[in-house]
Amino acid sequence: MPYILLVSRLLYYMIRMFDMTGGTRKSLSAWLCGDTTPRDRRNMRRLLWLMFAWAVSFAGGAQLVRRDMIPTGAFAWIAAAIPMVMAVFVLIAFGRFLRETDELNRRIQLQALALGFGGGWFAMAGYRVFELLGAPAIDMGGVVLVMTLLYAIGGVVGRIRYR
Amino acid sequence: MKNRLKVLRAEHDWTQARLASELQVSRQTVNAIETGKYDPSLPLAFAIARTFGQRIEDIFEPEEQM
Repeated sequence: MPYILLVSRLLYYMIRMFDMTGGTRKSLSAWLCGDTTPRDRRNMRRLLWLMFAWAVSFAGGAQLVRRDMIPTGAFAWIAAAIPMVMAVFVLIAFGRFLRETDELNRRIQLQALALGFGGGWFAMAGYRVFELLGAPAIDMGGVVLVMTLLYAIGGVVGRIRYR
Repeated sequence: MKNRLKVLRAEHDWTQARLASELQVSRQTVNAIETGKYDPSLPLAFAIARTFGQRIEDIFEPEEQM
């Protein structure tokens, strides 16, 4: 849960910085997707908003269910399902961003995704051996964090490589 | 792949940003093509050739084979 709250807060600040005018907007969008085209900035802003909505619905839904703030039954199932629906919109927006972004950025994004998914998967599979040796177990939030970090590193490496 | 993009851009007195805007790509893409770090797709190569009114083979040429 703390991971999700951290991600939501990060997303919120990123959106706020995107919406600022002047140099901040330029530098943040350049940091996220290189020297972007207006179409990329528009798609990225849409994606960030949807990710923010997903994070809020996920964290909110989980809190409501965990603290018994909504009656069990249909309402609880709906609260659990809303983040799944939001996730579909996020995936559609990300697919659109990848399709419409300029081709170098698409290559960088795909390489970053490969590192995030592949590297994250192998890292977590390898960590199981350390768990057998007594290392603390990592939950799903930890897996997501590792994948996100590797994806971010892949993006930065790509930016530097093609600078 | 070698290319004459930088020369052509200089002849037109265009900045990388201006060319990127013409091609609807990022300035980073133009820079990466000029420095040989990235080879453009065929559609983008055609767009570049069309922008400068030249043929693709007049702008891009393969590296010499060993």
